[in-house]
Amino acid sequence: MDLENQNRVKNAAEIHGAENVVVVIGAAEGEAAGLAAETVTNGDPTYAGSLSGVSLGLRVIHCLEQEFKDAVDAAVYDEQIGMMEMVLNVDEIVAEMVSIREQYGKY
Amino acid sequence: MKAVLKGAAYILAHTPDMIVHSGTTQTTERIVNPESEYLKQIGGHIRSFEKAVEYPPNQVYIGGMTPEELKDTPFPWHDKAAAGARFGRMGEIMPQDEFIGLIKAADSFDLVMLEENFAGKVKAKLEAHPVCSAFAQRIGAGAEISAIKRQIADFHAEALYFDGAVVGCVKRAHEIDPNLNAHVMFENLVSKASGALAFLNLFEKSGIDPLGVEYVIECSEEACGDMNQRGGGNFAKAIAEMAGAVNATGADTRGFCAAPTHALIQAASLVRAGTFKSVAIVAGGATAKLGMNGKDHVKKGLPVLEDVLGGFAALVCADDGVSPIVNTELTGSHTVGTGSSPQAVMTALVAKPLEKGGLKFSDIDKYSVEMQNPDVTKPAGAGDVPEANYKMIAALAVTKKELERGEIPAFVEKHGLPGWAPTQGHIPSGVPYLGFARDLLTMGDGNRVMIVGKGSLFLGRMTNLFDGVSIIMERNTGVEAACPALREAQGPESVTVKRENRIKVAVTTLGSEHGAENIVRGAEEAARDGGFDVALIGPVQGVKTNLEVIETADEASMYKKMEELLDSGYIKGCVTMHYNFPIGVSTVGRVTTPAKGRDLYLATTTGTASTDRVEAMVRNAVYGVITAKAMGIAEPTVGVLNLDGARAVERALITMGEKGYKVNFSESLRADGGAVMRGNDLLNPDCDVMVADSLTGNILCKMFSAYSTGGAYEATGYGYGPGIGEGAKRLVLILSRASGVPVVANALRYAAGLAKGNVLAVADAELAKANRAGLKDFSTTKNAKTHKTEPVEVNQPAKEVVTEEISGIEIFDLDDAVALLMSKGVYAESGMGCTGPVVLVNEKKHGQAVGILKESGFVGE
Repeated sequence: MDLENQNRVKNAAEIHGAENVVVVIGAAEGEAAGLAAETVTNGDPTYAGSLSGVSLGLRVIHCLEQEFKDAVDAAVYDEQIGMMEMVLNVDEIVAEMVSIREQYGKY
Repeated sequence: MKAVLKGAAYILAHTPDMIVHSGTTQTTERIVNPESEYLKQIGGHIRSFEKAVEYPPNQVYIGGMTPEELKDTPFPWHDKAAAGARFGRMGEIMPQDEFIGLIKAADSFDLVMLEENFAGKVKAKLEAHPVCSAFAQRIGAGAEISAIKRQIADFHAEALYFDGAVVGCVKRAHEIDPNLNAHVMFENLVSKASGALAFLNLFEKSGIDPLGVEYVIECSEEACGDMNQRGGGNFAKAIAEMAGAVNATGADTRGFCAAPTHALIQAASLVRAGTFKSVAIVAGGATAKLGMNGKDHVKKGLPVLEDVLGGFAALVCADDGVSPIVNTELTGSHTVGTGSSPQAVMTALVAKPLEKGGLKFSDIDKYSVEMQNPDVTKPAGAGDVPEANYKMIAALAVTKKELERGEIPAFVEKHGLPGWAPTQGHIPSGVPYLGFARDLLTMGDGNRVMIVGKGSLFLGRMTNLFDGVSIIMERNTGVEAACPALREAQGPESVTVKRENRIKVAVTTLGSEHGAENIVRGAEEAARDGGFDVALIGPVQGVKTNLEVIETADEASMYKKMEELLDSGYIKGCVTMHYNFPIGVSTVGRVTTPAKGRDLYLATTTGTASTDRVEAMVRNAVYGVITAKAMGIAEPTVGVLNLDGARAVERALITMGEKGYKVNFSESLRADGGAVMRGNDLLNPDCDVMVADSLTGNILCKMFSAYSTGGAYEATGYGYGPGIGEGAKRLVLILSRASGVPVVANALRYAAGLAKGNVLAVADAELAKANRAGLKDFSTTKNAKTHKTEPVEVNQPAKEVVTEEISGIEIFDLDDAVALLMSKGVYAESGMGCTGPVVLVNEKKHGQAVGILKESGFVGE
């Protein structure tokens, strides 16, 4: 995950409390989504950014997951994201997200 | 005036030391984590120059391999090796030491110091370089290593490394200005040098005159300027200066990765507006991006695949009637208000230009998007970028109801391309396909290509907006410029249809002993077949014809026109009576044998495949196989005529067969059999290809063509055939001056058949295979021997236009004659004239050259 984004996530968790933060991931494939999710839960696995060794355990969801889809306006979803359901490997991304949440999620 | 794409060139510089010392992933790691495992391991993951050259995506980048061939190469590619050399059809891959020399040559402010021994070696290498020899003199004598090390230690100079050792440095250009510090100067000189190398390759590979370029748009991602004008520019003019485009001005365009496509649209618009007739776009590479994904590559046990700098150059000109049109009316742009969702982006960039032109998604033959090499990006978790783009285009077509969801994979397969470009930001963006697009839209069967460039602007921290632009390129129906008569006769639409689907071949009109009428009647006979189009090039001397005539004033302009039309793809092949092929190329004749009327390919009939007799005949065999294959014979059978050296040729071919290039030998009709053929086998052959030396082949071709007429009129057969060999880049077929009407017609049929069979591509593939099986080594061992026996210290004079032939030199003396002239300061090339080997010199040096050759006994008094 981009170093600057790690700072932003870390700051948000400090200001609002980790229990009040949800990170929405938009990565285009499973491995990248998993890495981003791992970074905001267990810590930066590449030990490059400010979340190295910092296990925030934040709530994290990918924008292609059903729970997210259900939570937003269907028309907006369709306009902004709908097309990508045809393009990306949704099952792989969801499986990766579920696995990370099970391992490292605290909330 | 419409704008057309005249040419494109691509270069890579393999810079392994710069990965470690200049790539930001590595320099950042050194600051953050100097003792990291990664920094310790990276040295073991660096590829050699040879590995980088044979890496399939790199070969595609320089035109040594096609995207289709890459698609057929099983993924991953890092462990595959492609046949191919450092010089490709569209560019080259330069090794690091030469590139460091080029950085020195790019330096106008005495900032670059090279260590003296290194400088000497690099100078010699640049002297031998086809487009950089003029830079050798800028290398200078070099400096002592102690002086260089002092600059690095005490004055913040940026070190230049080769094979892990310091070989030079770039000094700072100012004591306190951060925009002129040594690091920035180094990055900018790299960008300038690689941009200039691409520009020079554009001139060399496309035959474009640097003096004709009027405007240059540079579109890299670097910024040059001092602290009062960071990014003030002007790389464009600096590169134009270095490449000798003295009639050009220019400016830089920036837009992150989208900049090259912005530049393409600007260039086409400037030409369309009539502001400039000839506009180049150019960009060099970025050392910062070397090894960007190195950590992932090393972690996965791969070589660090981002080990090359990329550069490209392309030229947009006023309509020439042939080159593909860069259609400024069919553009797409991501505007400030577009939004950032994938739908919105793809609609703006892909659907909008289609809408403007009333086109469907499937009307675009190929989309060129972000052509990043997936071999690099997949291990780093970034997926297959081009494939993701193609899926998005297909998905958008689904939302527009032009495609069923289930058809997405088929659409991606048909309209997509594999990624091959190095991840150098702007370099992969849309433009890597320009060269192949030109092929597809001229020689190939495509009609439209879309070039899409996208960029992430947040990196500059000025806006969160995304950016992108796109433009459609189209086949040039160019009847106005090329053939007014045909347009009038048939109407523009019928001509358009013809151009898209049919092969056109031509014949030059001058040189026949039976006059221009003989050629015209032969061409008309061939045209009546109806399967292909025939044009005449040159003066028709009052002979009336309905065929397309491309008139020229004289013989010299006739040949020039022929080459131009072949290069542009307007004609696919040309028949002519006289052509100077380089040594290495010889022609494969085709005759009808008398006993049972079977056609026989005579390999070969003119030209010289090699100055060594046995090698020449081995090459002739390969050339014959190439020709027969292109004509549709899947497994041609080969016989070697019983001439001096035939057994050695047979042995060499058998050895090549063991190494993977199998030749199907035919059996002689005579009782004692064998692959060596006798007289009977000529009259009544059982093979498709008969191998002979080209002088014998020449006589045989004449005999078969004119045995019933006494020689002055060749009445049967297909003529002396196409020039085949590594140096044959155009499909040119040879006729004798005595060839009559039927032979002229047959030669055109032969040309059309070869064009349809894509003989030049067949030749590339077969020669690559034969070279792997030892054909190449055959010539290097041979050459090495020659050089050893006679070391000639040749101080190369500068290349000149050579148009004057000197004949009468023995073929075996030809190389020595050229070397002698060069050593006396007369630039010379060897070639094959219609009567035998010739030395070519500039017309002003003709007298002097003849004098030198006479004096040394190469030619008689």
